[in-house]
Amino acid sequence: MPRILLVEDEEHLAAGIRFNLELDGYEEETIADGLSAVERLAPAPDVPVRDGDPSVDLVVLDVMLPGLDGFQIVERMRASGNYTPVLMLTAKGLPEDVVQGLEAGADDYLPKPFDLPVLLARVRGLIRRRDWARAPAEGAALTRVGGAEVDFTNLELQKGSETVRLTLLEAMLLKLLVERRGQVVTKAEILEKVWNLNPDTETRAVDNFVMRLRRHLEEDAGHPRLLQTVRGVGYRLVEE
Amino acid sequence: MPNLSQLSRSRRPKWHYVAVGVGLIIVAVALTVAWQILAAPDSVPSRAVGPARAVVWFFGSLLFLLLIAGLVLIVILLLREVRLNERQSNFVSAVTHELKTPVSSLKLYLDTLEYRELSTDRRAEFYRTMRQDIERLNVTINNVLNAAMYTDRPVADPRPLDLARVARRAIELTVTRHQLPREAIRYEGPDGLRLAGDAQALETALLNLLDNAVKYSKDRVQIEVETWGDADGQAHVRVRDHGIGMSRAHLPFIFTRFYRIGAEVRRSRTGTGLGLFIVRAIVKGHRGTITADSPGPDRGSSFTISVPGLLGPEAEADAEAARA
Repeated sequence: MPRILLVEDEEHLAAGIRFNLELDGYEEETIADGLSAVERLAPAPDVPVRDGDPSVDLVVLDVMLPGLDGFQIVERMRASGNYTPVLMLTAKGLPEDVVQGLEAGADDYLPKPFDLPVLLARVRGLIRRRDWARAPAEGAALTRVGGAEVDFTNLELQKGSETVRLTLLEAMLLKLLVERRGQVVTKAEILEKVWNLNPDTETRAVDNFVMRLRRHLEEDAGHPRLLQTVRGVGYRLVEE
Repeated sequence: MPNLSQLSRSRRPKWHYVAVGVGLIIVAVALTVAWQILAAPDSVPSRAVGPARAVVWFFGSLLFLLLIAGLVLIVILLLREVRLNERQSNFVSAVTHELKTPVSSLKLYLDTLEYRELSTDRRAEFYRTMRQDIERLNVTINNVLNAAMYTDRPVADPRPLDLARVARRAIELTVTRHQLPREAIRYEGPDGLRLAGDAQALETALLNLLDNAVKYSKDRVQIEVETWGDADGQAHVRVRDHGIGMSRAHLPFIFTRFYRIGAEVRRSRTGTGLGLFIVRAIVKGHRGTITADSPGPDRGSSFTISVPGLLGPEAEADAEAARA
């Protein structure tokens, strides 16, 4: 049963969301302030893990929280190597807020007030996308991309002696490119499939993530040999 | 990589202008000093000093002083504008949160009622939650409207009222609204404290003070309300709590419109930054004063409203007669 951690300080909203998640068959846990959320999601390396199973399949995270805000929590999670998918909820729904949330490391973003069916669909979608990102690509446990080996199940990329942790979005983007090796994948398709955003959204997020992948994969990220830009169209991972 | 400073990016350029202003003041002061040294009548051999030179020196110095005064004035105004701007953007953020949170909650519960099969008990619980959300919306809307309605102008139609009764009623309402035990708010004061004013407005002021006292209490709510009249014909109400208090640095600003302590995005208490502004406007409308005091963070705070025009029995009859 997927386990969801809800970080929300507004009691009524937390109770309503909790009720609906439980009806849909999720295990659920609620935290009401930013500092406890960080303690739970991004503990210092020497802090022993708390009782029970600490693993969480999805975090539903409010932005305005006492202690630490949602953006800071996602950042700390990612910095500490926690790549659990995050769905952000916030009263700010402008496109630039959405992009800021995504760039801080969230995987999806839902402005308040939201429709209950949409929230539940996003939750299902994120868990499904995580499962897709984590399934082995091309039927093999390890996927070779240039000089690197990618382990999608554990979201790890091994290059020489160096191991890089991939975020869910990085893994999904890489997987999309791997599955379509040799073909051009358009930016609109990437936005839709990886970010779950309207293909018309104006954002540099895709370019930024491609740059990150290049740093992991290429000998010289400034002169990409593997992950090529097809000007005005999209990106292509070359066949070897 | 993510960049949190983007959050405040839009505010930074205004501070650049202030820095430029301060730089210009420094340049002007330096120029003035240079002018004093180079052009002062006694800096050149005495024979060359004619009355014309003294006049030039005098008017030159005057001009420099005016220039500096003008620059200082502009920078002060700019600073005030920048601060107001920041408070306003915090206010928009706070009101957005205060309006959208109950609306989101109402929508969530409506959706749940629509899409789920629910037991009667569960329905009753959800209706209760929704009613509380509507009450919260109502409080925010009233605050915004009151801030526009109560200005510092004197009360238009002062009527005799009993401040002690207004205080007791405000306590009653607060106890019900926050579902507090009766002993959470202690009252001490005379049976009657009569003066002329706007009872509704004074009740709003006291309700705001009591709301704050509850909101900023720690685990246990313990509030003392005291009313008294003095020989100078002033009526006083004091609301004292044992909550989180504040550092002295904040005291001068708390009655300013939109002022809130701390960063908006990680706020632990709800609010719009209008409550105390409204209180001050109402008290000023009664030609009164409001003072705040706190021994420091975590040591509680107290607010005292003082309003002149305490009525004796005769004065009250006169006032009634005058009105009739």
